[in-house]
Amino acid sequence: MTNASASVKSMTFGEAVLWPLFAVLAFLCLIGAGFAHDTPFAFHASLACVASIAASFVILNRYYDRPAELPPQEINGRPNYSLGPIKFASVAAIFWGIAGFTVGLIIASQLAWPSLNFDLPWTTFGRLRPLHTSAVIFAFGGNVLIATSFYVVQKTCRTRLSGDLAPWFVVLGYNFFIVIAGTGYLLGVTQSKEYAEPEWYADLWLTIVWVTYLLVFLMTLVKRKEPHIFVANWFYLAFIVTIAVLHLGNNPALPVSVFGSKSYIAWGGVQDAMFQWWYGHNAVGFFLTAGFLAIMYYFIPKRAERPIYSYRLSIIHFWALIFLYIWAGPHHLHYTALPDWAQTLGMTFSIMLWMPSWGGMINGLMTLSGAWDKLRTDPVLRMLVVSVAFYGMATFEGPMMSVKVVNSLSHYTDWTIGHVHSGALGWVGFVSFGALYCLVPWLWNRKGLYSLKLVNWHFWISTIGIVLYISAMWVSGILQGLMWRAYTSLGFLEYSFIESVEAMHPFYIIRAAGGALFLIGALIMAFNLWMTVNAGEAEETQAAGLLQPAE
Amino acid sequence: MKAIVSIENLASHLVLSFWTPVFVAIFAAIVIYALRPRNKALFDAAAKMPLRED
Repeated sequence: MTNASASVKSMTFGEAVLWPLFAVLAFLCLIGAGFAHDTPFAFHASLACVASIAASFVILNRYYDRPAELPPQEINGRPNYSLGPIKFASVAAIFWGIAGFTVGLIIASQLAWPSLNFDLPWTTFGRLRPLHTSAVIFAFGGNVLIATSFYVVQKTCRTRLSGDLAPWFVVLGYNFFIVIAGTGYLLGVTQSKEYAEPEWYADLWLTIVWVTYLLVFLMTLVKRKEPHIFVANWFYLAFIVTIAVLHLGNNPALPVSVFGSKSYIAWGGVQDAMFQWWYGHNAVGFFLTAGFLAIMYYFIPKRAERPIYSYRLSIIHFWALIFLYIWAGPHHLHYTALPDWAQTLGMTFSIMLWMPSWGGMINGLMTLSGAWDKLRTDPVLRMLVVSVAFYGMATFEGPMMSVKVVNSLSHYTDWTIGHVHSGALGWVGFVSFGALYCLVPWLWNRKGLYSLKLVNWHFWISTIGIVLYISAMWVSGILQGLMWRAYTSLGFLEYSFIESVEAMHPFYIIRAAGGALFLIGALIMAFNLWMTVNAGEAEETQAAGLLQPAE
Repeated sequence: MKAIVSIENLASHLVLSFWTPVFVAIFAAIVIYALRPRNKALFDAAAKMPLRED
């Protein structure tokens, strides 16, 4: 509407800086690929070279195609929300989710039937496992968090997302990081730090992307039209800031050569272990908890059409979580070389975490007061609420497992895997699915989902899958722990290790079956969301074309 | 035993005598802010923020 005015078109600062910068980067990557000491590095440098050329070209092309003036901040007095990057991140989340669940199913099946690793280096458990964890946590979860955070911050600040290219840079740059990290694992590139496997060059790139993410989020908060910063934004901000700090803290590595993928961490031994689990546990606390709690605090009230049960509790919930979580990491290192006092400290703070965790759970569940009947009719809301119930269950189990005596039985066994998955599948997975089911119709201006019946199928199939998964892991974990500590009357270990492995077999099959059900549920969701975008609500296909709300 | 000045001693001293009371005080102030009756109207409005349509 404004491009009729006679303003002269000129590049924004971002455009003017980024297109030559990417051109130079492409050139540098080409040199890197040429001088590479190892094949994976050459491959990654080539990928980065192609991506940089593409980025430079797209920025220039976008500049020539766009009207002289940037999109207006408001149209007819209403914020002109920026939805493009959110749409991209939502689609990416669905794609990576299915990819990550599939790899999970493959490695679960490998544990039951080891020949499924096909005796190839690229498909061994050791390489596919980080591919699975990174794909589900960082690729699926990360894209859900980026999508929902960009949506929620705009809506609750009643202002357009800050930046023109920056939000796109965050979304595309983050997904490029995922590609580099994931292909690296398959080729054997790893720092061998759990959940922090990507090597130094991927880490550097993520740092740039993440700082941009922080700036976009902060600048949007700064120009908000609402005086109060909604609680979900606090959780998102804590997630973004803490992940930045954790990433920098855990990755000060020195590369052997700038033309090679291998690097060495600045510290070794128990210090490295402590840093790693300070990082690892707070990735759970701030990525998988704080970020998704932000989703809970926006999407559950929205879907239930009820205010937050207690806003006061949400404030106390937030700050208690922030003050306590950061100290819980040492519980991953019970009975190791880590000093005893540090182990006890980790355990104590983990137990204290019960309070904010359950406070948050109660707050999420009680938001349904006066709307409980909606659980019968709305499977999306049911998914969101069950996710909070799983959050409560996983955050009860976690502190219990951090108690040293319990940990002496549970550590290194499948119980840990079961615990992680009740949180990851039940809490993070379901709250993300619920958010995507809400978000897709909003973003693409559809009245509702293509089919609520399919959501119901997704819900039940996945729930049964989770129950199979976690109960199989409880049984096998406790069985493993008991077998490992069993002594004969003469003081010898009663079972050899391989006997305990043999005993796991049936539970590994049940676990794989549970994972398969979870994957089927996600495929149903992908179909349903695809049809929502392309066909609209099933019952209203006729009217869908006529009823297009402006925003 | 004589006190030995080391990074560890200094750090634990700082944690015990400075950061712990500071964090407790900050948290107490937040709880007071959250529970204060005069903030009720603000929080009741904030609880409804997701429901407002534009």
